Amino acid sequence: MGKDLIQKSLKDSLFTGIIALALFGPIVGLRTVAKNEVLVVEPKWFVVLLIVAFCAVGRFFINIYSYKKEQRRGEPSSLGKVISNFLDEKGAQIAIAAIAFSVIFPFMPFADRYWMDIAIMMMTYIMLGWGLNIVIGLAGLLDLGYVAFYAVGAYSYALFAIHFGWSFWICLPIAGLFAGMFGILLGFPVLRLRGDYLAIVTLAFGEMIRILLLNWYELTKGPDGLTGIPRPSFFGLPFKRYPDEGVETFHTFFGLEYDPMQRIIFLYYLILVLALITNAFTIKIRRLPVGRAWEALREDEIACKSLGVNPRNTKLTAFAIGAMFGGFAGSFFATRQAFISPESFTFIESAIIVAIVVLGGMGSQTGVVLSTIFLIGLIEVFRDFESYRMVAFGGAMVLIMIFRPRGILAKRKPTITMGKHG
Amino acid sequence: MSEKLLDVQNLTMKFGGLIAIDNLSFSAKKDHITSIIGPNGAGKTTVFNCLTGFYKATAGSMFLNKENNKMDLKKFSDFKVAQKAGVARTFQNIRLFPQMSVLENMMVAQHNKLMTASGFSILGLINSKSYLQKEKEAMEISKYWLDIIGLTNRADDNAGDLPYGDQRKLEIVRAMCIEPHLLCLDEPAAGLNAKESAELNKLLKFIKNDKKTGILLIEHDMSVVMGISDHVVVLNYGKKIFEGTAKETKNSPEVIEAYLGTED
Repeated sequence: MGKDLIQKSLKDSLFTGIIALALFGPIVGLRTVAKNEVLVVEPKWFVVLLIVAFCAVGRFFINIYSYKKEQRRGEPSSLGKVISNFLDEKGAQIAIAAIAFSVIFPFMPFADRYWMDIAIMMMTYIMLGWGLNIVIGLAGLLDLGYVAFYAVGAYSYALFAIHFGWSFWICLPIAGLFAGMFGILLGFPVLRLRGDYLAIVTLAFGEMIRILLLNWYELTKGPDGLTGIPRPSFFGLPFKRYPDEGVETFHTFFGLEYDPMQRIIFLYYLILVLALITNAFTIKIRRLPVGRAWEALREDEIACKSLGVNPRNTKLTAFAIGAMFGGFAGSFFATRQAFISPESFTFIESAIIVAIVVLGGMGSQTGVVLSTIFLIGLIEVFRDFESYRMVAFGGAMVLIMIFRPRGILAKRKPTITMGKHG
Repeated sequence: MSEKLLDVQNLTMKFGGLIAIDNLSFSAKKDHITSIIGPNGAGKTTVFNCLTGFYKATAGSMFLNKENNKMDLKKFSDFKVAQKAGVARTFQNIRLFPQMSVLENMMVAQHNKLMTASGFSILGLINSKSYLQKEKEAMEISKYWLDIIGLTNRADDNAGDLPYGDQRKLEIVRAMCIEPHLLCLDEPAAGLNAKESAELNKLLKFIKNDKKTGILLIEHDMSVVMGISDHVVVLNYGKKIFEGTAKETKNSPEVIEAYLGTED
């Protein structure tokens, strides 16, 4: 039997090698370079050989491994299971430790500008993931156009702040409101759709918003984008080296030296607080009737109707609340960048957020954090490898789906238990 | 007391050229279990779907007598039949929320009441006392019903993990959580063994006698139908071919020919 297995695995890995050669040969192996102002093809067969060998050998070991796993069937102890059991048991302590770490993070010795920027970006994705988790994870509505609400939030913040000069704290709820309204706007036509059909319509909605932003030049400045978006202030104290006449700034008020990092650290805490609010809200609302109705709707819509649950209102609230948090994140994005253009709101953003939610384990709040760290972290680690980043991203998704087909943390906790009231 | 709880007159349902229900009239009384029987494809489930708003009947009328208040069921669309008129139903192929716990299933059934109590989530978000009180009451109602079917100790397990017979019973008591006036059960005994069927009979009698809820029952298991029905309506090809008590039905030559068959 062992010999048979090795023979089979060898055959399989040979086949894998051929597929890898067919795929990577043209993509990686043939590269055009400009020599003496002429484009010539420069073959890179060695790299191709390495990749093909890696795929073939890897496949061989996967075969051997899964064979061994089959032998061990009955004693469940894969790495993922150990991790998720650990997280289930110590969930509360880990969450507190993670929040504590996030709070002291800016004061860590290694936390320079680069790390802070990555941390802010990750936190933004975590917040978006938590927002989308309401729509996909709880209500089970596959929304591939979530970035549209992110864009609506960013543009409404930018437009209100530029044209009316309103402060961040006034524009933030307005941006959330606008995004929530767009959520309802999307919700109405898709009420009867489920699954694949819903995914297609939401995807189209995301593109529509992007194309609208691109072409409504009078309002959005189209592809030029909006510049000069006001930065947030610390309760009225701006972060500026040379403030306007008679305006007190953050560093003069607190008697500090001016340091551009002050603004970065403030932005970091801002997104941390926004993200934690999103999380607290989701955890709370999941235990309320509307949250339970979302999950019931995900499980069985017909049964919901037979119990008198209004599916229209339930779906619309999920869309609206999810979109609202997307809008909050969008206005944070706008104030952080000070410049936004439709380029920032392409489909790939939606895809990344959906991937974060799905890979994290539908409906799991901790799972969103883990998969963000994993996916966004990986993209950053591979930043120097340019386009190979996306290969690493795809690879990470494949790995998670092999080892944890239902997401990193798939276990669901009941929202209410016997003996515990409220 | 035997007022008409449900009064169906000349109900007709057509799907294109197919007449699924043809001019059907029957009524159900408040303290009765009314069974609808008939061969496969006779239109039994279609009657349920018309009553509970899943289909819009082509013609005819359906009235529910709710505390001397005559309600036209045709005016309500899908979820409103349960919400406003108080008609609950179960399904031929069990429709629980399998990934949610048994208790959560019971709580979803009390959604409308709790939604109002939670001030459409606003009072709930701030942990208002009145909402917590209502939630506690809803849990007690859930516990009351779970005690009756003996599932209290499994309240925190996923509904999908329960044995088949328990899932059937859970679906029935979940429907009872909306405090219906009329409970429509679509083949509740399908797939149950003799012992489970006997328990089901007991549960249905309890609902009828103690809860004063009228029951409309579709069933193929004659031990259930004949054991508990007060009134039987027999359908064949969408038409009513017989109506009477269980005993009369058993001996009716038309019913024997169309459905029951002879013991030879």
